[in-house]
Amino acid sequence: MFYRLSGTYHTSYQADRKLWKIPTDRWLVIALLVLALLAPLFVSPLYLGSYVLPWVIWSAAALSLTLLMGLAGQLHFGFAAVMAIGAYASIHLVRAGVPFELALLLSGLISAVIGAIFGGAALRVKGLYLVMATLAMQYLVDWVVVNVPAISGGAHATLRTPAVSFLFLPIESLAARYWLALGWAVLLTVFFMNVKRTSFGRALVAIRDKDFAAAVIGVDPFKTKLMAFFTSSFMGGVTGAILAFCFYRAVTPEQFGFNVSIQLVAMVLVGGLGSVIGSWLGAGFVLLAPIFLTNLVSGLAASGWVPVSQNFLSHLPLMIYGAMIIGFLLLEPLGLAKIYDNIRKYFLVWPFRHARS
Amino acid sequence: MTFLRKLALTTALVAGLSAPVAAEDVKFGLLQDFTAVYTFVTGQYNQGQQDYLALANAEGLLGEGNSVTAIVRDTGNQPQRGIEAYNRAKEEGAILFDFLSTPVSAAILDQAQADKNIVITPAHGRGDASDGTVFPYVFPMLPTYWAQAANLIEHMKNNGGLEGKKIAIVHIDSPFGREPGPILEALSEQEGFEFQAFPYASPGNEQSAAWSEVRRYRPDYVLIWGAGGGQAVSVRTAIQNGIAPEQIHSVIWLAETDAANVGPQMKGVKRFEATAAGTDLPIIQRIQEKVIAAGKGSGDQANVGNSYYNLGVATMAVAVEAARLGMEGGQPLTGETLKAGFEKISGFDAEGLMPAVTYTAEDHQGGGAGRVSEWDGEKWVPVSEWHAAYPELIRQVIEESAAKYKEGN
Repeated sequence: MFYRLSGTYHTSYQADRKLWKIPTDRWLVIALLVLALLAPLFVSPLYLGSYVLPWVIWSAAALSLTLLMGLAGQLHFGFAAVMAIGAYASIHLVRAGVPFELALLLSGLISAVIGAIFGGAALRVKGLYLVMATLAMQYLVDWVVVNVPAISGGAHATLRTPAVSFLFLPIESLAARYWLALGWAVLLTVFFMNVKRTSFGRALVAIRDKDFAAAVIGVDPFKTKLMAFFTSSFMGGVTGAILAFCFYRAVTPEQFGFNVSIQLVAMVLVGGLGSVIGSWLGAGFVLLAPIFLTNLVSGLAASGWVPVSQNFLSHLPLMIYGAMIIGFLLLEPLGLAKIYDNIRKYFLVWPFRHARS
Repeated sequence: MTFLRKLALTTALVAGLSAPVAAEDVKFGLLQDFTAVYTFVTGQYNQGQQDYLALANAEGLLGEGNSVTAIVRDTGNQPQRGIEAYNRAKEEGAILFDFLSTPVSAAILDQAQADKNIVITPAHGRGDASDGTVFPYVFPMLPTYWAQAANLIEHMKNNGGLEGKKIAIVHIDSPFGREPGPILEALSEQEGFEFQAFPYASPGNEQSAAWSEVRRYRPDYVLIWGAGGGQAVSVRTAIQNGIAPEQIHSVIWLAETDAANVGPQMKGVKRFEATAAGTDLPIIQRIQEKVIAAGKGSGDQANVGNSYYNLGVATMAVAVEAARLGMEGGQPLTGETLKAGFEKISGFDAEGLMPAVTYTAEDHQGGGAGRVSEWDGEKWVPVSEWHAAYPELIRQVIEESAAKYKEGN
């Protein structure tokens, strides 16, 4: 019924290799993209600046992390540190007179190099031990940022981003900042969907599933793992720079603390490991659910529906949020992406029951 | 997207319906961290703020028909949630904000200045925001950490002397912990003492490594610079390492809860205070009478009169006074008139709750006066008079740092 399949034939290899083979999917994506591009016209500044913009940027961050965790199977609990390197590198580069476009690329490269060095641990250890190694990266980067005033910006450890323009578009107005962030997130999304179809993407999956089996069939684990850390850290570094220039516009060490790393891991897990739509849904959920719940509960309290103390009032959204995460993961351990997939499959053959996928 | 907007709209509508209607309803955004890092202070502090606003409304301090409303939200110490809460409260009409969180304040400072909204940063945030010429809409309001350090050092000077003495500064390893550094540096030359810094890792649940170093250093005085649970650990570990409670001097973040956690050995420990503690103050008495007894209190009655509760009361007493002065002459209250109201405040001491403060267009710290108090086993007893220590030095540090901010840091 919806997602109509009848009349859709793939008569060439090219047609069969399309990203969205079903016309409805294609139209949905185009419609969403148009809506997203036009968002500054019809979304109020409050919602654009405090909801949509951070959502877009954190989705890009979740996509960067899920490349490493979902595709390559390498756990990373220090991804906020990778973003911090990108953010600080970009600000210092722009201040040194490097054009913003180039500074974005260079900050990505710097993150990629440092990220790959720490990723070297992955050559020796796996699983929980790798988690420990990446945690060490988080704390080392935190420590260096806080303790080197030349990086963090002196007494109050706040660095404001200088005024910049991207391809002659001044990154000053909310709309301009949003479009730049959206452009980067869309670029990452397209890249991610395509990387799965390349030999590099298949090598990552082989490494994830069993690294010595991958070695037997000719995938070099040494190279592939380092490449995974390099690529993912590059993406994360540029995202950190985008976060600094488009959203915060003043960088402090707390913005890239350990709790942010955990949030990123939560986004990837709640959304669904290694999934594109999961990264978007997961980022939206982890970032925005606490805000919506806080406002909802405060609204109810203001109208006298929940007469409780301020302290309890503040913790109530957290309890609901926690219950929601457990609920979603119990309902569907593969994350929000799988929930969407189930719904889509249901409508694929609706009103009949069984889907072939 | 439309779903999100609808949901949010409903929320806003529900929240909006319940707002009281008045001639002028002044809105303050108290968007604080109730659930993450600042939980040790926020609960009592915010309770004091809300109770004082209730008192102001009960007594009609803002004039006939006018009222003041607090918009209270949790930000969880996360900048992106603070930005959302700020933007929303701004739409609801708030003109004064208190985030009680350094990262959130830092993320919003520039935006609030551009929007001409007041941000008060009592006992948190940037000390150099005291320079009103560079930060026209930011009011640190109470003594900065620099002023606190100077006040404590001066107390040591007046009680035992500083010439040739050794001070150990044991601090949390964060920008906040490093704040007293420049003051100690400047004063050590001037007063002829030596000092050494001993950082411990955040959050400070375990400090024995730092304190065994301190013991080897054999300090005459100890300055502890941390917050929350780490403070009680500092005092306890110091005493275990043979440091007498009388030698310990703390930043403003040491309160009744910490004393209860440390136990009887806490007796003799000193701290800086910006507001008087206890219920034996006219303003607190009136809160008990008109707010608590009337059942309009916003939290646990046992907290009334605590150090952090009184701190919250003081911040709102100053803010309401500024609003009152800003509305004089009948003009509507905006960020700009509220700023003017702040700068009209002169010699205001909230009936003895705090030292007399005077704000000018240049000085948004209000003079930086405070005092030192000592834990006598049951309560905090003041051991010095309200005064500002080394005001010229503090002003110089403020202006130097503000100049750097102006350049872009």
